[in-house]
Amino acid sequence: MDVLGRGKVVATREDMLTYEYDGSADTASPDAVVLPETTADVAAVARFCHEHGVPIVPRGAGTGLSGGAIPVEGGVVMSFARMARILEIDVPNLRAVVQPGVVNLHLSTAVAPHGLYFVPDPSSQKACTLGGNVAENSGGPHTLAYGVTTNHVTGLEIVLSDGTIARLGGKAVEDEGYDLVGTFVGSEGTLGMVTEITVKLTPLAEDRRTVLAAFTTMDQASETVSAIIASGVVPAAIEMMDNLSTQAVEESVHAGYPLDAGGILLVEVEGVRDGLEDARERIEAICRANGASSLRLAATALEREKLWAGRKGAFAAMGRLAPDYYVQDGVIPRTRLPEILRRVNEAAASRGLRIANVFHAGDGNLHPLIVFDLRKEPDALRRAQEAGLEILAACVEAGGSITGEHGVGMEKNCFMPLQFRPDDLAAMRRVKDAFDPAGLANPGKVFPTPSRCREFSLGAVR
Amino acid sequence: MTTRLEPADADECARSLAGASAERRSMRIAGALSKAYLGELRATDVELRTVRIAGVVDHVPADLTITVAGGTPFAEMAAALARAGQFLPLDPPHADRATIGGVIAANSNGFWRSRYGGVRDLLIGTRLALADGTLARAGGRVVKNVAGYDLDKLVVGSLGTLGVIVEATFKVLPIPAASAGLSATFARAGEAFAAADALVRGASRQEAIVIERRSGAAWRLHVGARGDRPTVARAKSDAARAVADLRGSAEPADDVASRLVALRELPAAAIDGALVRAALPLAAQTAFAESAADLDAFTTLVADAASGIVRVHLRGDDDAVATGAVALLMAARAVGGSGRVERRAESLRERIGAWDPAEPRGHFLMKRLKDAFDPAGVLEPGRSAVG
Repeated sequence: MDVLGRGKVVATREDMLTYEYDGSADTASPDAVVLPETTADVAAVARFCHEHGVPIVPRGAGTGLSGGAIPVEGGVVMSFARMARILEIDVPNLRAVVQPGVVNLHLSTAVAPHGLYFVPDPSSQKACTLGGNVAENSGGPHTLAYGVTTNHVTGLEIVLSDGTIARLGGKAVEDEGYDLVGTFVGSEGTLGMVTEITVKLTPLAEDRRTVLAAFTTMDQASETVSAIIASGVVPAAIEMMDNLSTQAVEESVHAGYPLDAGGILLVEVEGVRDGLEDARERIEAICRANGASSLRLAATALEREKLWAGRKGAFAAMGRLAPDYYVQDGVIPRTRLPEILRRVNEAAASRGLRIANVFHAGDGNLHPLIVFDLRKEPDALRRAQEAGLEILAACVEAGGSITGEHGVGMEKNCFMPLQFRPDDLAAMRRVKDAFDPAGLANPGKVFPTPSRCREFSLGAVR
Repeated sequence: MTTRLEPADADECARSLAGASAERRSMRIAGALSKAYLGELRATDVELRTVRIAGVVDHVPADLTITVAGGTPFAEMAAALARAGQFLPLDPPHADRATIGGVIAANSNGFWRSRYGGVRDLLIGTRLALADGTLARAGGRVVKNVAGYDLDKLVVGSLGTLGVIVEATFKVLPIPAASAGLSATFARAGEAFAAADALVRGASRQEAIVIERRSGAAWRLHVGARGDRPTVARAKSDAARAVADLRGSAEPADDVASRLVALRELPAAAIDGALVRAALPLAAQTAFAESAADLDAFTTLVADAASGIVRVHLRGDDDAVATGAVALLMAARAVGGSGRVERRAESLRERIGAWDPAEPRGHFLMKRLKDAFDPAGVLEPGRSAVG
């Protein structure tokens, strides 16, 4: 407490309770919580922790879905809630410099008067922070055409777990030597803390068309996704929802989704006005050729916002179906969508679980949400996790990944050997050791840990 | 005597590296040797060439991804993609000779970076042969993937100092239906860059926005666009308006695409004097370009104005070239960018280094990474800015 002064430390047990949770199913108690206000504060805490061998777990808004902000091995949780200033909006250079606690959507709102925005738009963008986005390499629906967080960050200030401050990159598109910015983004707090971020700002599109297509079956919707991708039209977003998701969303958001469809697609194209009608017609033709039962074009900005509010509110809407949910984030090659979706549904059904699918179909990034009520079915979480493991194994087998945007964290670190062989993980371990030789930066995340991972027998699903 | 090795596959490549590490024999890592001028070249005990580790490993057109072996010629991959109506949206210099592994290791970008992303943005997976003889995969074959560290980024631009790229997977795109281009001249640098800037911020997404200046000539802007017909037509009219607004004069535009190819190949053509390459914040380009054009040894400037990558070819008296190169590196650093002497004549190798004498940001971390991946220090010793 002497390191920072009383006002920047959360002192009581009750006040620390909120820091035991994030958006995932995991919990653990921190030994202390600090609220640094400057880079110097962050460095001072890190030096103290390093001296005493205490882990540091950085935390943004706590919206993460893989337990990245959970202090699984105890230690100090470092909240960036008080480092939440936009430091510079540099319109001539199309850059903004921000502190890590700035909320994703606040940045886009702040730069909108200049006709600019920050591209990555995770569904949690009203709450999640840019520091968290950097840690997780966050995506969102509109990353299909424009890339994820790593494609929009050019500079960082970081603090290593021993308190060393380093500046990496800057406002130019690249820097000399190794791409440390690219190496750091997506490292989930395991290489150090980020204290300042330089991001690219992108000119807003002149116009867009948002089409809602309904299909009798999920297979038809999946085939449509492949056909759109192959056609040469590159939509800004292609999102898919199954019937259960649609019903949950309609009850809570009233987005106007058809309730009788087996699957719906939300397809958006944007750019200059001139090409949009052509692109919309081509997309609608492909939808029809694949059996779309209805097509609806968002006629107004308000209608478009409603369609998107439905999609972005989908996870929250799951509360209508059941009090608890467990979500996975596997990625597959887009041509394998129909087949893997069937396996996803089987994995849940065979365990007596209800499953809703709402995901970034254009990227092949699945989000199967398994819903249950722990009060009534105390072992449902265990069954859901089993189903999740089976789903991820299917994704990897299809040539995909165990996570597209939610991160590995402590939720999937035991599953890393599904996707990576020991030599692959050893190469990543070299990076970890170069940045964090003492192993105090967010320990227990990303890499399998012997203590927690022993119980997982991956052989069964391989 | 340098031993030449041409391993037949990834496993043999990994064994060669392990052998060199064990015996502490230094290694040059090369593909087609098209960029053998890059960096500080020291004699090595071994030259390992990847040319036999070649071929398309996997291409599922409907997934819009391709996996190729590291020694595959860029042109061969492009041809395979073209047969499926697709292309890798990357236009590196030496595209006729370069290998994929070399393009990645040299972070070799052309003018399309702002439109489609650069090497780091298009590369989604790699397989690396490491100095200890292990083979490590990073990333994957899907377009979105955050499992584990992004070693793909680490290897882009690493110039062979961290390992050998034996396989790579890229995102690709369908070849656009239509294309158009426009060239124009301007009296002043400020006007040419202002026109480029208007296009960077404009609604149309141009494929290339390039500024050219040759000693004694006017400032020239070249704009290329590809896409479907309506967007390309709009892109061209937007470009014409930006030119007119800044008092430029449009030139006949039959051949913009081949002009852009010639400008992209400046690193191949600049065999004498020194070629300085700077990565700058966008708004710093105008002043940098103006001061470059005032140098005694100034010959040619080519700027990817949409990305802030400016190349300046200096020729003539060695003193004037060396002085000019140092001045440009300092100018780049002063505005928060970075610079390098990308290529220089043999006679200048002793006088000017390839890298800015100021260490790159985060240099101590780069050193640690180099030590972690190549503890014996055998891979391309001294070649990169890391040292």
